Amino acid sequence: MTRWLAKLHNLNPRWLYLATAVLLLVPLVTMIPMPRSDISGAVRGLYDMIEACPPDGIVLIDSSWDAGSQSENKAELKCVVRHLCRRKIRFVVISTVTPFCPEFAGQVIEPIAKEAGYVYGRDWTNMGYIQANTGLAVVIEGLARDFHKMRQADVHGTPVDQLPLMKDVRSIRDLYLVYSVTYSPGTEWISFVKGQFGTPVAFGCMSIMAPSYYAYIDSGQLSGMLAGNRGAAEYEALLQHPDLGTKLSMAASFGNAAVILAALVGNLGLWAALRMRRRAA
Amino acid sequence: MTHPLSIWAGAIVTLAVFSYLARDNPFYRLVQQAALGASVGIGLVIAWQQILAPMWWTPIRTALDGTGDARGAWWLLALVPGALWYFQFSKKYFWLSTLVSGLFVGVAAGLAFKGQILLIMPQIGASLKPLNPFAGPEGFTWTALAQCLSNLVFLVGMFTTLLYFFFSIKTDNRWFATPIRVGRIMIMISLGAMFGSTVMTRMSYLIERLQFLYEIWLKPLLPS
Repeated sequence: MTRWLAKLHNLNPRWLYLATAVLLLVPLVTMIPMPRSDISGAVRGLYDMIEACPPDGIVLIDSSWDAGSQSENKAELKCVVRHLCRRKIRFVVISTVTPFCPEFAGQVIEPIAKEAGYVYGRDWTNMGYIQANTGLAVVIEGLARDFHKMRQADVHGTPVDQLPLMKDVRSIRDLYLVYSVTYSPGTEWISFVKGQFGTPVAFGCMSIMAPSYYAYIDSGQLSGMLAGNRGAAEYEALLQHPDLGTKLSMAASFGNAAVILAALVGNLGLWAALRMRRRAA
Repeated sequence: MTHPLSIWAGAIVTLAVFSYLARDNPFYRLVQQAALGASVGIGLVIAWQQILAPMWWTPIRTALDGTGDARGAWWLLALVPGALWYFQFSKKYFWLSTLVSGLFVGVAAGLAFKGQILLIMPQIGASLKPLNPFAGPEGFTWTALAQCLSNLVFLVGMFTTLLYFFFSIKTDNRWFATPIRVGRIMIMISLGAMFGSTVMTRMSYLIERLQFLYEIWLKPLLPS
């Protein structure tokens, strides 16, 4: 037994890669039902904010993700847009990180909006990419004071004056909520939008960044947050509409179990190898 | 069922990247270089189409040919500070680039200062948490007790972590040695949580690609 365990210590890592890939594919292929975890306060905070939105409220979505972080941001955007459409809340979409982001946002939003009977320009608009590399704070300050000056046309080139929805959006004070979904949402949204103008802010971020933002949930500076696919899965549970987040977080549970198992087996292998070496000495 | 070319390209590129796990190979390196080149190329085109053309070039062009607002021609002046950046390549005239970079640093510093005040001040207020379970509007409840204990852990964590970074006292001081050690443990727990989140994120990258390979590329090709 010890000799067999010691062999694990020298296992070719390529077997581990293969085992991980096979293990992650199992839930994707078979859709094994998993027990649902509790809904965290951060997720419920965002859900409750949107539930409390008045019918004439408008939400600004900063959808600043592309292929690099679609593995988690896509599900985070999808579930929130579904909720907005279900409640018939109008929304404006902008992107501030890369020029590719508006297209990715459109691919997620268009089918959901179409299914909900939303009319583009009246119920939602994609205002495209606003270059913010030199300073997100400058862009946010500009959007907060005069949206039309910062972005004169939408992603299709339609002038802002010809979009009925944009007649109701001049400054940050016309918005009910700002939801920034990206790899690592800028804290400038908290400083300027919430801190200076008092408009609530919520984030959707990659799991890796979530620990940095919990302090802002505790202090009330953030109204809610979806942390990775798990956050999206919890939101989908609240919507009673399991979708991408649920599916991907189910596979992630298998992956996490694999990591724990590999750590245990690896340590057992090390222990066995050391034991054999001591015996041989 | 056949796929559009983009799906095939996505699948082949993904498999080429995964092939690195077996060993470094020319397919992986080809895809890596192609991805970099495509990203820069597409980024340039989109930057022109979505930013420079509508926000800078079109106002100038329409102003000059008389079809647009004449004030659009003022955008030509943006070329001056823009061109100053390129003096970073000159040893003799480097100082010209500092004019514009100084302006940018000044604006960024001002906004950062304002942003940090707006960000951190509410954090200081939120750090003052109640520790008396009897002080709530409903008197003593088990929920209030649990909240106060949670607040106690938070306050111990905050003060001991701050103490760990307080370099004006000796770490072997008999009054501070234990709190500093507690602070170090708190930092280790936080870093552990961050590392766990890192694993989850990396796993998400892999799952998303596997989902693409199976559901979008392979599944429609399989006989139903």
